[in-house]
Amino acid sequence: MVSRELLSAVLGVGLGLVCLAFPGAVVRINTAGRVPGGRHGEYGDDAVPEKWKWVVRVVGILLLAGGGYFAYTVV
Amino acid sequence: MRNLGLKVRMVIVGSILFALYAVAAAAAIFVFGSGVLPIVLIGSVVLIGIQYKVGKWAALKSVGAEDMPEDRFREVHRSVEQLSRDMGIEKPRLMYADMGVPNAFAVGRKKAGIVVVSTELIQLLDHDELEGVLAHELAHIRNRDVVMMVLGQGVASVVAIVAQYIVLLTGDNDIADFFLAIIVGQIVQMLVMIFVMAISRYREYVADGDAADAIGRGEPLARALEKISAGNERASDSAVDEQVNALCIFGRPIGLAKLFSTHPPTEKRIDRLRN
Repeated sequence: MVSRELLSAVLGVGLGLVCLAFPGAVVRINTAGRVPGGRHGEYGDDAVPEKWKWVVRVVGILLLAGGGYFAYTVV
Repeated sequence: MRNLGLKVRMVIVGSILFALYAVAAAAAIFVFGSGVLPIVLIGSVVLIGIQYKVGKWAALKSVGAEDMPEDRFREVHRSVEQLSRDMGIEKPRLMYADMGVPNAFAVGRKKAGIVVVSTELIQLLDHDELEGVLAHELAHIRNRDVVMMVLGQGVASVVAIVAQYIVLLTGDNDIADFFLAIIVGQIVQMLVMIFVMAISRYREYVADGDAADAIGRGEPLARALEKISAGNERASDSAVDEQVNALCIFGRPIGLAKLFSTHPPTEKRIDRLRN
């Protein structure tokens, strides 16, 4: 289905960019409520460990690559 | 009525989350038939239960929290006993950990609460400031904030899982369907979490207000936040600062980072506590 491949390309690139630009926010979305917040950084902030951000950045690159691949197949 | 603003907001956000959950359940029934309803309902309860139990265990394990001995931390125990009485809750279990930074957090629920305080926080703050922080954490337990976050994330997870399966099982089972299912699940979860994060930020203000009521004034907690915040700015070159989002401007999150913050800006909290 071409429409699904097109959607995969657009959403894949979009989510990949979000992962690269806002890795901390992506970590918080996936961890808030699963593990109690406020354990990292200092009191009063919701800092995210740098290694988790790097995992999200790598996922972002994979999503960009996947989105790019589907864009290529559609074109 | 205590915390009327919070109750109104909880009704609104709770209704939105329930509506999203109902839409996900209805969509699952529409696509897979009515036989899927028990799986959705039982699965939701099991998922949320596991998230609560595992989350609590993981939080304590990750910081290496240990029980706070009464003879070594007598003042902290006395303060928490007094504050718990004033706030009408059972005294939670107290734990401490060497976290490397001044910090404290609460896990669990009203009758099974745990407050973890870092040794750095105890060393940094004066007694009344530490009482402000402890009262804030006790307010989180009294207001069931941890449980609320688990429920919010649980609803977001269930809605995301249903969306993923609908994408996956209505497609041709090719690689594009798998890729799309993962992305749709994440995007749906993000959309639901906007509401959960918004209520989480508001609950921080409510916990601050409750802490101020419990200790009679907001100034000690405001000073504690100020002290920790000032220490954070001074240590801008330290390893701790590496944890601050690279896209923050002067430590303030922007854009999506702001939308998906669990805590409001510290300056705003200090302002509210003082006014």
